Amino acid sequence: MAVLAILAIATLAPNAHADARGEQLYRNCTICHGPDARGIPLQLAPALSNLSEKYIVEQLKKYKSGIRGAHEKDIAGLRMLPMSQTMLTEEDMQAVASHIVSLGSSPIEPTLEGGDPVKGKTLYATCLACHGPDGKGNDLLNAPSLIHQHDWYQLTQLKNFKDGIRGGNPQDITGAQMMPMAMMLGDEQGMKDVIAYIQTLSK
Amino acid sequence: MFEFLDRFMPGILESLLPRASEFAIQIDVLFDVIAILVGFWFILVLGYFFYLVFRYRHREGQKAEYVTGETHKQKQAIEIPHFLILACDIVIIIPTFVVWYNVKIDVPQPDEEVRIVAQQWAWTFYHAGEDEILGTDDDVVSINELHVKENTKYTYHLESRDVMHSFSVPVFRLKQDAVPGRVITGHFKPILTGEWDIQCAEMCGVAHGIMGARIFIKSEAEHKEWLAANSPIKSGGSLLAATNEDEITELKEDKNNG
Repeated sequence: MAVLAILAIATLAPNAHADARGEQLYRNCTICHGPDARGIPLQLAPALSNLSEKYIVEQLKKYKSGIRGAHEKDIAGLRMLPMSQTMLTEEDMQAVASHIVSLGSSPIEPTLEGGDPVKGKTLYATCLACHGPDGKGNDLLNAPSLIHQHDWYQLTQLKNFKDGIRGGNPQDITGAQMMPMAMMLGDEQGMKDVIAYIQTLSK
Repeated sequence: MFEFLDRFMPGILESLLPRASEFAIQIDVLFDVIAILVGFWFILVLGYFFYLVFRYRHREGQKAEYVTGETHKQKQAIEIPHFLILACDIVIIIPTFVVWYNVKIDVPQPDEEVRIVAQQWAWTFYHAGEDEILGTDDDVVSINELHVKENTKYTYHLESRDVMHSFSVPVFRLKQDAVPGRVITGHFKPILTGEWDIQCAEMCGVAHGIMGARIFIKSEAEHKEWLAANSPIKSGGSLLAATNEDEITELKEDKNNG
């Protein structure tokens, strides 16, 4: 019994330590992303709690090395660029990501109007391969979850991908995968339609 | 004038950071003049104060005298230092006007121009490409990196996308606020090659303290090499993309006014 207890403490203690570190580090993020990681539209900050640990760590690494958020027109990305520098090591990124995931996600009120989820469902057929039929993403394909995310953020990101503002850096391999996908959505209406469909998956 | 005055100055700032712009010497001389005059009075007044505290310390059986400060001789103790300090103020204010005019008002005809856009919490620099004209397709855009060449007169056009920022280049002794909705023009001429810091000197939000950038001052040949290597026309626009002048034309062009 004592051995079991010692083993339990030995395995749990580092995790507890990482959680405390993640919580401490996340305080820097709360100003824009909110204490519940649901994002704050006024700060142009998306929800994070719907994302996977792997995706969060990957994005932090991209920001830190200037692969993402270093485009002159990426207003929100440029805000994230210096904040990512507060994560000194990969362990820190891992700790903050696991804290964010532990917060849990919930549906977010839509703000966009004029999107047709029926048309969007047809368009979503392209996205389905990576992001999954339920929109929950797939870590093996580096595809983030799309549900429980702000619709205005998704529209901005689709436009950014299309204009090469995101994913245009030659080192951004996973971002570059998304660029031609965004190209397939002909205009803003197409983007709104597919986002309207993603919103139905969030419920 | 400033070169001559500099010979008699302690060079307090230069001992900490080199002077990399043409007008840096003027700011340094002014800084030294103010430091010497204020330092002189600071030491004198404190020295006299401590002398008085010691000289008129508490003694057994001796009562303190109440001085009303009404006689002419008593008033002189205030009046004489007062006029001496006023004289020092004039010594400070005359070079201040000269330096202000040289640094902030008199913008010389530039050899090159650079557009600087501040936002929360990054700097975007638009360098004129090989055609040396700003606002054309071959402009080189960089985030948090300003590349300039030595011995070239620059005019900068400073903008802000969101809140107030301040473009501060300590090695140039340059500090200029960026105000949203306005384009503020100023100038500098780099005189040293090297790599130094740029910082934001106006509280602008949570990441103000880490809103830093770097300035790279190079020789003309090296600068041309850098421009050629990063030209958006040859590389097809990757990390450094071609500029778009859509927003700037709507902003009110405003001469530097501090």
